Amino acid sequence: MTTPNPLSRRASLRSLLLPTTALLAGCASTQPRPGATDDSASDVGFPQRTGASVIRANGTRAFRNHVLQDQDGRTVRFQQDLIEGQVFAAVFMYVNCKGICSDMIGQMIGAYDLLTPVMGNPVRFYTFSLAQDSPEAMKGYMQSRGIYGRPGWTFLTGTPEVIKDIRWGFGFFDPNEEVDGNLEAHTGMARFGNHRLDKWSSCPALANPLMTARSVVALFPPGERPQIAALQDSETVPARPIPNYRPAPPSTREGA
Amino acid sequence: MRDRLFHAQIGRRGFVKGSALATGAFFINTKYSLAALADEPASPFTTAWTQPLRFAPYAIPLPAWQALDPLPDPARHQRYDEFSPRYFYNMEVCEELVRPHPQLGWSRCSTYEHSVPGVTFMHRYGVPVLCRINNQLPQVMQGFGSCDVITHVHNGHHAPESDGFPEDRFSPGTFRDHHWANTLASGDPLEAKGTMWYHDHCLDFTAQNTYRGLAGFFLLFDDLDSGNELDPNPDALRLPSGVPDGKRVRNRFDIPLIFTDRRFNQAGELLFDTMNMDGILGDKWLVNGFVQPYFEVERRKYRFRLLDGGPSRFYDLWFSNGMTFDVIANDGNLLPAPVTAQSVKLGVAERMDIVVDFSELPETTTEIYLVNRAEQVDGRGPTGNVLPMSQSPKLLKLVIRPDTGIIDASRVPSSLRARPAMDWPVARERSWHFDRTNGMWTVNGQLFDHNRCDAFCKQGTAEIWHFSTSGGWAHPIHMHCEEPMLLTYKGKPANSGIWAGRKDVFTLYPGDEMSVYIKFRDWLGRYPMHCHNTVHEDHAMMVRWDIVP
Repeated sequence: MTTPNPLSRRASLRSLLLPTTALLAGCASTQPRPGATDDSASDVGFPQRTGASVIRANGTRAFRNHVLQDQDGRTVRFQQDLIEGQVFAAVFMYVNCKGICSDMIGQMIGAYDLLTPVMGNPVRFYTFSLAQDSPEAMKGYMQSRGIYGRPGWTFLTGTPEVIKDIRWGFGFFDPNEEVDGNLEAHTGMARFGNHRLDKWSSCPALANPLMTARSVVALFPPGERPQIAALQDSETVPARPIPNYRPAPPSTREGA
Repeated sequence: MRDRLFHAQIGRRGFVKGSALATGAFFINTKYSLAALADEPASPFTTAWTQPLRFAPYAIPLPAWQALDPLPDPARHQRYDEFSPRYFYNMEVCEELVRPHPQLGWSRCSTYEHSVPGVTFMHRYGVPVLCRINNQLPQVMQGFGSCDVITHVHNGHHAPESDGFPEDRFSPGTFRDHHWANTLASGDPLEAKGTMWYHDHCLDFTAQNTYRGLAGFFLLFDDLDSGNELDPNPDALRLPSGVPDGKRVRNRFDIPLIFTDRRFNQAGELLFDTMNMDGILGDKWLVNGFVQPYFEVERRKYRFRLLDGGPSRFYDLWFSNGMTFDVIANDGNLLPAPVTAQSVKLGVAERMDIVVDFSELPETTTEIYLVNRAEQVDGRGPTGNVLPMSQSPKLLKLVIRPDTGIIDASRVPSSLRARPAMDWPVARERSWHFDRTNGMWTVNGQLFDHNRCDAFCKQGTAEIWHFSTSGGWAHPIHMHCEEPMLLTYKGKPANSGIWAGRKDVFTLYPGDEMSVYIKFRDWLGRYPMHCHNTVHEDHAMMVRWDIVP
């Protein structure tokens, strides 16, 4: 069960070379299977709890490989296409929200602008619909906010069960069912992740875009961080280099 | 300092390589470890009371003939020449493999100077020091925790550039100099502090980094609390003294205890739920970094410096025999007078110093336990129920030695340190309401922005601040630099007993209201105030306030 990743260059190339596969993927997108999993996360022992994730032997994290649709109606796999190897910021909203969503997306646009040099590669933004918005509705919303077609920003929709599993998996839930299901009080938090390093943090998506952008950059190892002048904290006096510094070896499962 | 022996149970990377590989092999066999703690089986079984209580070694300054390279830059510090450092430290933050119990595996931890807890700083008022903190962590660090760090001395009266503002985090390969003036706030001896601790304060990663090991004790002494129970100075209190230095434990009666709770996976490795937004609870009880140790005590008085090291646990500490003790300090500040109590409550980061007299126990009592009777089922805070003694988790076993006729010269005087005067007129009052909207922490309805100052406090003035909260959460609110004094709690005066001293952490339980008096002194610049449930703190439950000319 291989579905092309519409978000990566390699996958885009593959979809050009294998139009049949892409066509099949397009057909599949009309019938997303809630809670579906595939070979990357369906092993025996994957917990049944909503929002569960597991740490694999190489130290990276696996979520259920849900089926989603993006703003262009393409089928996207959650783990395979959105999580695996990615550095990203994810928020939850819906098109007709009369509450925080408009401001939240506004702040995320600000963060996107600051991160423009690295958006699409290697940083991505994901926006998950909390109200089963159609791809057309999401696309229209993106167009109205001037973000349609911007590299690296994908809006995603899926069944309520799938979106709930993803939301819970990112830690945004309330054990009280009534509170959890109250759409008006939905989370305004952004989840930041660097899958390769299993590095995760979170801050309000409504925060100053500078803080959001800096939180994203902090997910990278220092040597790989994008150097963006606008993200420097003007009030922090820079630390000084250690003379004759020799870096410590990487601290990873595979490198331990 | 780099050549010193490591803290016991901490291996050099090469030495424990075999263990690490063995652990890795186990991991491959198990295929997955479960990240969602709701699904995670309980931590592996550990036999309690099989290992002695351990202590971090003292931080050791550079010898007089050795200079830091490069030299400190006075231009980076306020009042550097006025508080010219007498001692210089050159400390590393580095990764080590640590095993908190022989039945657990080795975990990769971040350490201060190779030790968990971090090396113990022992300073005296009037002796300024400079500590260079070199970030030697791996640049590529998988799993929870950040390789960026910034160190905060909790309750230190330090300039902001040395205080550990979260945005001042710095990366491996770089260092920061922390100038700790060790000066009394506005020169008032009544403002002396005692039991402090230092820990990481990295933006977004404080909970993960402290959980990974970055915390240690920072103790300050003066003529009154001199750390010498045989002090000939008639002004000295002569409280039980002698802080253990690594393995040097004999005849030491001033015992720092940091309580933490942790989870471990089935390979016995440290586990942190990075997706948890409420607060992290563990099912293993650690004291000074080791699971359920024992400690042998003489039949005499001991000073215990109790610290809730978090990240989200609340404690209601009792001795299993119900014995009483004297509370002598709240948040490290000596009270005007000792308070006899049977229990003390601690929110995250709070400290209580108590003096326990084991000579009063009958000869037949040879063991007692320190237990936590606070019921807590999630990271949001305690339920408010007090667990029955028999069902309360035991944290530390105290083995009381037979009476050897030991002479105990220590005292608990009836008068300790008076409360400082609230003699500055109140320039203004401010209210701070801590709340949660759409899953986001707010203070006065606003989100944290480190570029926005929410209170410009004029140096040389005093203010009254009102704290309140809503929702079913407990929030230990911590203020940097300046130490407020409690005025009212739930609208009633609260300035006696254990509330008579100064505090830096004010734990707000659901619906609580507190009012405090604060003076702003000595340093200029930006400081944070935040919830010290560090999971909440990392999700931006914080405000910035500045001291301005």
